[in-house]
Amino acid sequence: MSTSVAEYVAAEREPAREPKTRITGLMVQYYHVCRRELWFMSRDIDIDRETTNIQRGTHVDETSYQGSRKSFQIDGRIQLDVLESGDIMEVKVSSAMEKPARMQLLFYLWYLREVHDIEKDGVLAYPTERRREQVELNTETTAQIEATVEGILDTVGAETPPALEKKSYCDSCLYQDICWM
Amino acid sequence: MPKPNHHVFADGELSRNEGTLRIDTLAGETEYLPVESIDSLYLHGQIDFNTRALGLLNDHGVPAHVFGWKDYYKGSYLPKRGQVSGNTVVEQVRAYDDDRRLSIAQRIIQASIHNMRSNLRYYDGRRGNFSEAIADLADEKDQVAAVDTINEVRAVEGNARKTYYRCFDRILRDPFELTKRQYNPPTNEANAIVSFLNGMTYTTCVSAIRKTALDPTVGFVHEPGERRFTLSLDIADIFKPILADRLVFRLVNRQQITVDDFESELDGCLLTESGRMTVLEEFEKLLDETVAHPRLERNVSYKTLVRTDVLSLKKHILTGEEYHATERWW
Repeated sequence: MSTSVAEYVAAEREPAREPKTRITGLMVQYYHVCRRELWFMSRDIDIDRETTNIQRGTHVDETSYQGSRKSFQIDGRIQLDVLESGDIMEVKVSSAMEKPARMQLLFYLWYLREVHDIEKDGVLAYPTERRREQVELNTETTAQIEATVEGILDTVGAETPPALEKKSYCDSCLYQDICWM
Repeated sequence: MPKPNHHVFADGELSRNEGTLRIDTLAGETEYLPVESIDSLYLHGQIDFNTRALGLLNDHGVPAHVFGWKDYYKGSYLPKRGQVSGNTVVEQVRAYDDDRRLSIAQRIIQASIHNMRSNLRYYDGRRGNFSEAIADLADEKDQVAAVDTINEVRAVEGNARKTYYRCFDRILRDPFELTKRQYNPPTNEANAIVSFLNGMTYTTCVSAIRKTALDPTVGFVHEPGERRFTLSLDIADIFKPILADRLVFRLVNRQQITVDDFESELDGCLLTESGRMTVLEEFEKLLDETVAHPRLERNVSYKTLVRTDVLSLKKHILTGEEYHATERWW
């Protein structure tokens, strides 16, 4: 674990101390989708909220597996769904962005283990595709998450956003207009 | 796709009816207005409304622009901010306070002069020979880059506007004439229609700025002491030639608007109600017209251009990346 990651965990373990950067699951996702998007989001740069994509995601999340999961808020910053089996569940509309979604879930598992000493496994679910995937922390995924946390701290700490770069999914990005204008 | 604006001309009452807006006119008609499908509400008639109606507008982030007697702009009811960001406002004020103010003001006025010049180029040869004024505006645009104070920027802008307005007389079909811009109140038909559309351009900018976390009172060209939202005045300067002036020329020259659409009062000249309706209908159509945007690589409407201009300014303030004030490229 690098010094910055260790400092982050130490700050999160101390309730009276507030870490400079609060990492959320969404930030972990953005880090793996587009670091420029992550930087914009960290500076409160507004997105187009009239878009239907957000509404669709919220709808799928709210209407799937309603009976079999319970929602928990941890430290006022992480919203978790816990299944009856005890696994942590993350629901996504589609598997198009599989890696970012998996990293978000792994971040929750890692956060629970490092900050709260709770060991859990995870389930990544795509209800519209009728598909689930088991996710767990091992040496490899732990290293991935720690690299992610370090990368997020670096990106968000930078004075200026990462350079503009055309990606295949720019067209559906909520920051498209501000990014390219 | 941006949502359309809605204009209410009738006199009557605006109220909330469960989840929607209801308008009862004095003439006895009732109309329901789905609040979630409008961008901004324009009230041109004498309208009574209460806090419940305002609350509904608030919930949906819809600004209401209120016009008074003879369609003088009275003010706007702005919804509670959807976008709040202390960080943005701090950076905006910082940019106002350091040398970024001058460079932002220069960008805005250069774009404004560019857009005036582009109008003259369009009419050059069609309605007269404007090559001299076109060359003067090109000079004046260059001068803006060379000055070191806001006052000088404004002085050059004033000269450019004079150069530009002097050409209106020749562009406009007789008997419309505009030798000098006069307002409060406008003294003739051309001044009246320019004033009216400048007001519409201004409120369009107010609505666009409200959708961001920028503070509308902190502008860069205009002084914050002015009574209106100075940032909206700044952005409106860029868009007046595009949204107001070009439309004035078109409406007058195609005789969609004639002198019969105006009425002279004691000391001024104003559009009649049916004149205003014609102008607004065309203004709304113009807002929905689209152009291919080179950086966004898609077609965007004129209304979206106002919004993306504001977003570009905001990004410049927060990141230092270049501010692209909208210069007509199409």
